[in-house]
Amino acid sequence: MRYLMLSKTQNNQPDEKLFAEMAAFIEEMTASGVLLATGGLDPAGFKIASSGDDVTVTDGPFTEAKEAIGGFALVEVRSREEAEELGRRFRKIVGDGESLIHQVYS
Amino acid sequence: MSEVRAAVGVVWKRESARIVAALLRMVRDVGLAEELAQDALVAAMEQWPVDGIPDNPGAWLTTIARRKAVDHLRRSSRFDGTDVEPPDVPEQSSGDDVLRLMFISCHPVLDRDARAALTLRVVAGLSPAEIARAFLVGEPVIAQRIATAKRTLAESGVAYGLPGGAELSGRLASVLEVVYLVFNEGYSATSGDDLMRPGLCLEALRLGRLLAELAPDDPEVHGLVALMEIQQSRSAARTGPGGEPVQLHEQNRGRWDRLLINRGFAAMLRARAAGAGAAPGPYVLQAAIAVCHAQARTSQETDWVRIAALYAALERLVPTPVVRLNRAVAVGFAAGPEAGLALVDALRADPVLRDYHLLPGVRGDLLLRLGRVAEARLELERAASLTRNAAERDFLRARVDATVVPGEVTPATAAPSASTAPAGAATGSAGAGPLLGAAADEFLAGLGGATALAYRKTLGRMRRALGERTPLSALDAAGVAAAVAATWPDAAPRGWNRHLAALRSFTAWAGVPRLADDLKNRSVPERSGSEPGEPPDLDGVGLRERTLWLMVQESGAPIGAVLALNVEDLDGPGGPGVTWGERTAALIPELIAGRTRGPLFLSDRRPAPARRPPPADLCPETGRRRLSYERAEYLFKRATGRTLRSLRGLREAAGIPQR
Repeated sequence: MRYLMLSKTQNNQPDEKLFAEMAAFIEEMTASGVLLATGGLDPAGFKIASSGDDVTVTDGPFTEAKEAIGGFALVEVRSREEAEELGRRFRKIVGDGESLIHQVYS
Repeated sequence: MSEVRAAVGVVWKRESARIVAALLRMVRDVGLAEELAQDALVAAMEQWPVDGIPDNPGAWLTTIARRKAVDHLRRSSRFDGTDVEPPDVPEQSSGDDVLRLMFISCHPVLDRDARAALTLRVVAGLSPAEIARAFLVGEPVIAQRIATAKRTLAESGVAYGLPGGAELSGRLASVLEVVYLVFNEGYSATSGDDLMRPGLCLEALRLGRLLAELAPDDPEVHGLVALMEIQQSRSAARTGPGGEPVQLHEQNRGRWDRLLINRGFAAMLRARAAGAGAAPGPYVLQAAIAVCHAQARTSQETDWVRIAALYAALERLVPTPVVRLNRAVAVGFAAGPEAGLALVDALRADPVLRDYHLLPGVRGDLLLRLGRVAEARLELERAASLTRNAAERDFLRARVDATVVPGEVTPATAAPSASTAPAGAATGSAGAGPLLGAAADEFLAGLGGATALAYRKTLGRMRRALGERTPLSALDAAGVAAAVAATWPDAAPRGWNRHLAALRSFTAWAGVPRLADDLKNRSVPERSGSEPGEPPDLDGVGLRERTLWLMVQESGAPIGAVLALNVEDLDGPGGPGVTWGERTAALIPELIAGRTRGPLFLSDRRPAPARRPPPADLCPETGRRRLSYERAEYLFKRATGRTLRSLRGLREAAGIPQR
């Protein structure tokens, strides 16, 4: 089953150690065939809203910085527990903050 | 608590390969390495609920497992009386360790099933229950298979003297084979109700991706990964709403997973880079074919000419019947159904494919495209009988039923080629009349125990070869004979004749004896050179046997009466009345050899004292006993390959009345 893991932007500045640990973690997930895709997101983005026939486009940012999505990873795992475990390890590496994890329906 | 338990399970699945692989280098025994790793798992179950889950659970488990391995080695070296320090092994396992573990779990000393099960156990970290579920067999079977595999490995000592990294990647073929075997078992489930078992496909993909990281210089590894990624990309489109299979050229390409296709393309690029300059291997070629399909936006855009060329290259490398069949499909699209059919027909006599449902399936498709509907239906029905997968069988049966319409309304259009059209279609009754399977069941139900048992085997084979639901009226003698020839290519004459006898019996019962017209008995080797119906060659046959044969033949008397003759009967008027001709008379004096009384035909031996026959059966002059009927038959058959009884048939054929 597939899960989309979304991590919110971090307050703390990434340092050398975090980069190295993240690189190792990503490499490990890739090697074990779990990680299908990953990427960082521009925190600004833009918003499209519709109301009746009106469609409006608004440039971001819209929320407090810590609420914005900063990156994603699409993983293929055997169980929800495995997704949890990956999320847990990710949080240990990046420090305080939040991740959102959604199963991708196939 | 249960949360920790779940975490332990997940960590185990992810890390077990690396842990077991690292321990293997220390203890050189897969079974022992796995046991020690399991001990570490137990320790985690005890400690994690108390201390919390460690930051890097995999490293934690590896450390504990290493410690247990060191303890084990210390203990066993103390028992040995030697004081050896455990080998110096780095804390973390390297990729080579895992590769080495895969190499061992896929070692050719194990059979294919054992390799697959052991690899899923020690490399993928699946439990026996999970493996059993994936392969649809009982858990004890898998547990047994794994235990046996470990023992075989330990006994054969393959874990010692493992090759190094560079050499390992050169010996990957058996590892690739196992990974693809697992994938295929998931992708085209050979049995069961579902067409796919996605769990197995994903495990194989996972193993393949892992392998690609461990042996990045091997083009075939990347080729296999590319092949699996692209095949897996079609998984959502392969089945319709009712679970029925959808053929590649009919699939909704919008449902193909572009992410996996792109990953497949990327793997293919890596394969090309790794194998630059070298001729592509079988997995790279198969991946190239998959890439061709994935690149076509619609099925009409498929570059069949290129695919056919790739299959031709693949056939040169792997000339298996299945590859040849796939090539026939490609040629059928590239050069037209006639060309494809010619290639398929060349495969029909191959005994390897006799139970392979795709052969009649492909043939049925090609015939359908040629407008030979009646023949196509027969082939599709045969395919349905041969497949062990329920979804596929239903699909094929539905296709048989769907092709019935044009054939029944206007038989002429259904069978444009009158010479090849079965009789049923020609009379407009295709699909009518009793069906093979049902008729055979009814026939067998009316038979006695042993006969039914023997006939059931023969008819069962034929039902699968010809199709359970094929109407008897749709069969023809040539088709039945061809199916028999393909089903029992190596049958010894006796076995062959038994199968034929069963079939003749059935066709006669079913009122269609013409179906057995083309079945030809094989002569039993002992009587090679003599056609049935001709007298045996008596040259070199002993005097006694020759006389007996001629007397039975010339007198027309029952064999028992001839054997009952005594020497004194030959010239006495009060004898039993067996008469004979000149040829026998010429031999009799030599046979009597001066005897005046007692049995004419004597056995070779004198009877043992405890088994004395009645005085009338004992020769007073030689002490030998009268030749018994059983012994006479045996001796005669040994000498000529024929039984005395076969004279009866000969005499009837010659118009000599029986007495």
